[in-house]
Amino acid sequence: MKDSCSSVSRLLEKYFDQEATDKERSLVEDHLAGCLSCQDTLEWMGDFRDSVKTPVKMAVQKEDFERAWQNIRREIQLQEKSSWWKSIQSWLDLPRFFRKKVWVPAVAVVAIFALLTTQVFFEEASEEASYGALPDVEYVDSSYNVMVYAIEKSKITVIWLFEGQEMEAPSS
Amino acid sequence: MRRIPLVLPLGLILVLLFASTALSQMNVRLRVIQASNVGRAVDPSLRDLHGQLGSLFNFTSYRLLRENDLSLYPGLPASIQARPGRFIEVTLVRQYREDAEVRIRVIREGKDILATMVRLSPGRTVLIGGPRHAEWVIIFALSPARY
Repeated sequence: MKDSCSSVSRLLEKYFDQEATDKERSLVEDHLAGCLSCQDTLEWMGDFRDSVKTPVKMAVQKEDFERAWQNIRREIQLQEKSSWWKSIQSWLDLPRFFRKKVWVPAVAVVAIFALLTTQVFFEEASEEASYGALPDVEYVDSSYNVMVYAIEKSKITVIWLFEGQEMEAPSS
Repeated sequence: MRRIPLVLPLGLILVLLFASTALSQMNVRLRVIQASNVGRAVDPSLRDLHGQLGSLFNFTSYRLLRENDLSLYPGLPASIQARPGRFIEVTLVRQYREDAEVRIRVIREGKDILATMVRLSPGRTVLIGGPRHAEWVIIFALSPARY
C-alpha cells in the first residue's frame, strides 16, 4: 500500500486538476477507494484551493472595474490622438535622421539653391524692367558687309551678309 | 525604414539638380535653307516661312537642307554643320521669362564669318543669310521650338 501511495501521490495533483488521462484517473480512483490517507490528501487540496480562491473572489467583488476601464479607455484615446504624428515620425525615423546628420548636405544644397534662385529672380526682375529697350540684335561682327533689319509685323529679324557694294538678295 | 533618411537627401539633391537644369534650358528650331534662282520649287516643310521668304528675298527656289531641334543650356554651344566646312554655332547666353539672348557664330573653313547676339522670343524668327555662292545662298532660320 505504501508503494502504491507514493506512486499515486504523483498522479493525485493531476487528478485534482482534472489533467489525468482516463487510465490514470481509473488508477487513482481505484486507489482512493481503499486509501484514507490519499483521500485526506485530496480533501486537503480542495480545502487549500478554496482558502486561496475565496479571498481573491472577495477582492474582485470589491474592485471597481468600471472605473479602472474608464482610465484605460482614456489612456487609449490619448495615444490615438498623437498616433498620426508618431506614425509620421516613425516613418521618417527623424530622431535617427537628425542624430546621423545626414541632413546637413541636403540642407546645404537647399540653401545654395535658394540663394542662387533668389539672386537669379532679383536679377531677372531688375533686368526685365529695362529689357524692352534691348534691340533684337545686340551686336554683329563680320568680315563681310552686313545688313540688319527687323520686321515687327511678321516678327522676323534678318541678318544678311554680302560682299562689296553688292546688295544681293533682300528685295526690300 | 532605416534607408529612408539616406534616400531622402539624395532624392532631394537629384530633384534640385534636375529642376535647376530644366529651368535654364531652352529649345530652339534651326533650319538650314538653300535659296537660289534655279527652278521654282519651295520645300513643303518651309510652308510656314514661304510667305516671309518670298516677301524678303528675290529667290525663286527654297530647299530645306536640314532641320534640328537644339536644346540650349547657358554657356554651352551647340553647333551643326550646314554644308561641308560651314558650321553654325548657337549658345544660350541669358534666358528671361519668355525671351532669350542667343549668341550665334557662323564659321566657314575654320574662320568666323559672323558673330552676333540676337534676342529670341516666342513667334520670332531670326534669318541669317549670305554671302552668295554662285547660284545659291545659305539661309539659317532660328526660332524657339514649337511645343
